[in-house]
Amino acid sequence: MSEVLKVKEVKQQFYTRRGIYKALNGIELELRKGEVFGIAGESGSGKSTLGLTIMGLLPRNASVTSGSVLLDGKDVIAPLREYATKSNQKFNFRRNENVIKKMNRELSTIRGNKVAMVFQDPMTSLNPVLQVGYQVAETMLVHQPRTLAMRRLARANAKRSDLNEALKVLRATESDEKALEDFFRNKGLEGLTEQVISIWRRKDLADAKKEKMILSLHSEKLSWFDRFVLNAVKEKGNLPSWLSKTPILSRYTRRVLLKEGYLKALELLSTLEVPNADKVIRMYPHELSGGMRQRIVIAIALANNPELVIMDEPTSALDVTVQAQILELVRHLKVKFNTSFIFISHDLSVLSEVCDRIGIMYGGRIVEIAPTKEIFDNPMHPYTKFLIAAIPTLEEKEIQEIGGAVPDMRFPPSGCMFHPRCPYIMEICRERVPDMIQVSKDHYVACFLYSGDNK
Amino acid sequence: MKLWVYIVRRLLLFIPTLIGLTFIVFVLSHSGGTNLVLAEYVNPRLTGEARTLLIQKLTEEFHLNQPIYIQYFYWLYQIMQGNWGYTNTPIFSGSVVTAIELFLPNTAMIAAVASILIWVIGVPLGVYSAVNRDSATDQVVRVGSFSLYAMPIYLIAVALILAVGVYLKILPFAGVVNPLLVSNLSWYHNGISYPTHIILIDAILHNNWQVAWNAFLHLLLPSLTLALATVASIIRILRASMLEVLDQDYIRLAWSKGISAKLVYNLHARRNALLPLLTLFGLTVAFLLGGAVVIETVFSYPGIGYWTTQALLNNDVGGIMASTLLFGLILVSANLILDIAYAFVDPRIRY
Ligand SMILES: Nc1ncnc2c1ncn2[C@@H]1O[C@H](COP(=O)(O)OP(=O)(O)OP(=O)(O)O)[C@@H](O)[C@H]1O
Ligand SMILES: [Mg+2]
Repeated sequence: MSEVLKVKEVKQQFYTRRGIYKALNGIELELRKGEVFGIAGESGSGKSTLGLTIMGLLPRNASVTSGSVLLDGKDVIAPLREYATKSNQKFNFRRNENVIKKMNRELSTIRGNKVAMVFQDPMTSLNPVLQVGYQVAETMLVHQPRTLAMRRLARANAKRSDLNEALKVLRATESDEKALEDFFRNKGLEGLTEQVISIWRRKDLADAKKEKMILSLHSEKLSWFDRFVLNAVKEKGNLPSWLSKTPILSRYTRRVLLKEGYLKALELLSTLEVPNADKVIRMYPHELSGGMRQRIVIAIALANNPELVIMDEPTSALDVTVQAQILELVRHLKVKFNTSFIFISHDLSVLSEVCDRIGIMYGGRIVEIAPTKEIFDNPMHPYTKFLIAAIPTLEEKEIQEIGGAVPDMRFPPSGCMFHPRCPYIMEICRERVPDMIQVSKDHYVACFLYSGDNK
Repeated sequence: MKLWVYIVRRLLLFIPTLIGLTFIVFVLSHSGGTNLVLAEYVNPRLTGEARTLLIQKLTEEFHLNQPIYIQYFYWLYQIMQGNWGYTNTPIFSGSVVTAIELFLPNTAMIAAVASILIWVIGVPLGVYSAVNRDSATDQVVRVGSFSLYAMPIYLIAVALILAVGVYLKILPFAGVVNPLLVSNLSWYHNGISYPTHIILIDAILHNNWQVAWNAFLHLLLPSLTLALATVASIIRILRASMLEVLDQDYIRLAWSKGISAKLVYNLHARRNALLPLLTLFGLTVAFLLGGAVVIETVFSYPGIGYWTTQALLNNDVGGIMASTLLFGLILVSANLILDIAYAFVDPRIRY
């Protein structure tokens, strides 16, 4: 299996007025295609920071002192690392920020397209002055204008008979998407496949209603100008520059794509089971509940079917039913599109439901990595053991607490980060950082208890 | 609540505000011993018998024998009828309503040009300064705007006059037009142009481009002074609010979408950063009015502000009362308009 992401030896720190916080202290991670990788750890262990570092989305006070993040054949954090290691002068916020701006430019082709992130707090993650439909559509508008153009053109070119036949295909093949895709491709109407499927798959409508909706897809006509614009986008992949650069004309030109973006956003929200999605896309974030906003944020991340999605506590704001729905969605995308996920949560029981492998983070390091079942059946690192013992179960009323507190990351403990709280502490734990050792297939742990050289 | 209910409610609030304002001015203007009404309504050109008769008539009409708070209501009644009395200043003598008709358009003109200048100078500089924080340009903008902010408005005016008008000699700095150009025009008499009383627009209407260009040049220095005096605070506040917005989670989300920097700054960030400025614009209007008084006087520019100064210097009660009322009216309406604009720009505001 090939890797979508390789994180090597990443060390990262934040410069603040109160000191330098060493947030990541040598992260090693490989993510395979179609894999869901869970990350668990206490608050402050650096989970979110790891996600942001992978996206290259660091603030101006963040410095990457070593390591690399290989994503889509590119070392995402190379410029930051080069700045931090090359200059022997003091850390300069402005210079560092200029590097970050350069990274923003370089990464704009993969962000939102190949890799996307769902941020921790849905309440503050949406722009308060933009309609949520626009916020979802924007990603598609920027990265996949051609797909939008094809969708719209296919609707304008389709005849009612085509859609009738498409329904027959769906019925005859028992909803086989491949067959439908082939059918539309032969007709030159590729853009229709996902539109028909998304209606067909809706659970909230009766069959008769769905068929009626599918049949009515052909009825929208196009003006000659819009048709010209869409054809240009279909051929060249984007708007002709003389149109997109002219101030007022560009706005007028983009309109037809934007409208299609809203429609696609509507489809996406319906698959996320957002009620009244057609109204919701015209609303502003403050009109929506936290759970609803979280789904919008997820829709933004999924809009372009990225290869890798980093989800930072995506279910913490949601009630149990919606949470189950999101987990189901993750499983579905993983199977259907071979999407890889990094799923961050402090809740191991949530991770156990979707993840293939789980990594346990402590003090900016991953201290244990193992397949999900293995980590529950055979936890090895003392910290993992504590975390698992801390999961509330129905039988045990008493929850075991971990003694001590998360270390102050300005002055991280020497050797193993966990040694001040570890009940099995040995001499060597204070002196040396334990290496990751393989204990069985796919099970790695960084602890001297298992390394043999603990004398 | 519907927007129009809100508008109506705000309009109703207008009334007590203006009553309070006029009452204070009315009472204060009597404290000097002169009767406001007589000073305001007796045409200064009238003399002898006619004058005495008029005073008698006014005493009856305005109930001048009654206590002052009763007088106030009769006076207010006349004001609401559009009867604003007379003004007598060196630059204009006659009915207040005519004076307003003549001077207000000129003030509106420099305020409009100044507003455009503020917008096109202030917003790009504020945004650029925040986006490139700590860069050399940012430092220059910060120092520059702070110095402007600290400078009194007449100092800016005098500095500009000396630099651009006297030393470089590229722009005129007195009046609205070169008098030699307009001496023989059919639509220009006694310093008054027709029909709009704004010489720039009238010249364009009469297809006289030489005069129009000259009038435009006369507009530049006063407008620029007014703009510079205000733009400093706009830049400072926009820079601060832009910096705050750029740190928000939703901007990080915008970056994570891989959209262009231009889109992140100009749509996602700027639209949010401009919201606090809108509130500031209410204050800006007040500042512009105050500034207009000083600037029009320094540039001998025949607007409301110049007239107000002349009225004050000549103890012209009619002019003082009228300009106080007018300024109050403009301020209150500007704030109302801004509040309504806010509702359109910020979707979170509901009335
Ligand atoms: N912008 C920043 N400036 C300074 N320090 C930061 C910044 N962001 C994070 N940190 C520090 O980095 C460390 C890791 O934070 P991070 O948010 O990654 O933790 P987390 O594991 O995601 O925690 P939680 O479960 O609460 O989300 C913390 O000590 C935090 O104080
Ligand atoms: Mg976090």
